[in-house]
Amino acid sequence: MNPLGREELFSAFLDGELTTKEAKFVNEILAGEEEAMEEFHGIQQVRKALRMLPDLEIPGWLLPDGHLGEQLSSYLDGELSAAEQRRVSDHVIGCADCRAELHDLDRARIAVRSLPGVETGQFDQIPVIPRSRRRRAVAVGSIGIAAAVAVILGLAFGGQQQPTISLDDLTTQHIARASAEPGFAVFPAGIEISAP
Amino acid sequence: MADEFTPSWEDVAQRYGRKIYNFAYRLTGNPDDAADLVQEVLLRVRKGLSGYRPGSFEGWLWRITRNAFLDGVRRKSRRPETTLPEGDHHALGSSPSPDEVLASVRLSDNVQAALLKLPYAFREAVVLCDVVGLTYDEIADATDIPVGTVRSRIHRGRKMLRGLLTWPV
Ligand SMILES: [Zn+2]
Repeated sequence: MNPLGREELFSAFLDGELTTKEAKFVNEILAGEEEAMEEFHGIQQVRKALRMLPDLEIPGWLLPDGHLGEQLSSYLDGELSAAEQRRVSDHVIGCADCRAELHDLDRARIAVRSLPGVETGQFDQIPVIPRSRRRRAVAVGSIGIAAAVAVILGLAFGGQQQPTISLDDLTTQHIARASAEPGFAVFPAGIEISAP
Repeated sequence: MADEFTPSWEDVAQRYGRKIYNFAYRLTGNPDDAADLVQEVLLRVRKGLSGYRPGSFEGWLWRITRNAFLDGVRRKSRRPETTLPEGDHHALGSSPSPDEVLASVRLSDNVQAALLKLPYAFREAVVLCDVVGLTYDEIADATDIPVGTVRSRIHRGRKMLRGLLTWPV
């Protein structure tokens, strides 16, 4: 067997791809030849490094139940790269849920802008969760959002009497969310917001 | 391989999406290209599932994946392959010490950069074996080359990497 052919057995040996007979042959080579042993260790080291490469997380929106979520807001705001933008368009065309979400989000933005008596500067007072923390902060964030909604409605309706407005309607929820967190578009199931 | 059933498109996405993503990421060093590939593969799987006959499902899937990848490469007239990888920082857990994290980032960046320097045939064989975890037979099936050639490519690929990697890492 030529040297390269012999060497090839080292990789196949490490991968468990040899017959018993071939594996025995490799064992004999390694026991008898120091140079072969060194070569074998080198290959072993490379193989280990390759297998230690981190198993990267797939972006959630690529999976069937992974809708676009907060990417939709960035999309509306023109914050995405060209490649991301194209992917969002492709997904929205094929996904009724995200289309509806995008539509709601867009309406909510328009509605917020047209709220009477609210100057855009006042929104600066509302704390915004930093982008990277947002996903984890969703559950906790809903309380803050409810508070933010109260603030916005308070501003909008004069602030004297407590507004008794039910926020069950999705558009209103979106107004609240889109206002409190400009990049926020996910509406997790099971969270209900209602004003006191 | 006990692939007696035809999985749904959603099953394929859930079960293999991440592997396909990692396959593409390691071949290109680029998250956008990897995401594009996953979308393209899932689209082809969706279209192709009705014509799929129970057999080697993995072989079928990886043939699709590989073809989609090569089509993408042809279509895009690639940027130079020596593009520096972006690193794997987002994949690291939070428990190890900063030094361990840095060492691990350095190692994976190092390996990724070396991978990108391999000629495609060797890079592909090594990634299918060491990243995706296919057997030599499955790789032969997916790439349509004899198993002896697979064995040779994997070994020669690793040997080239050994020369490219800077030890100790
Ligand atoms: Zn969707």
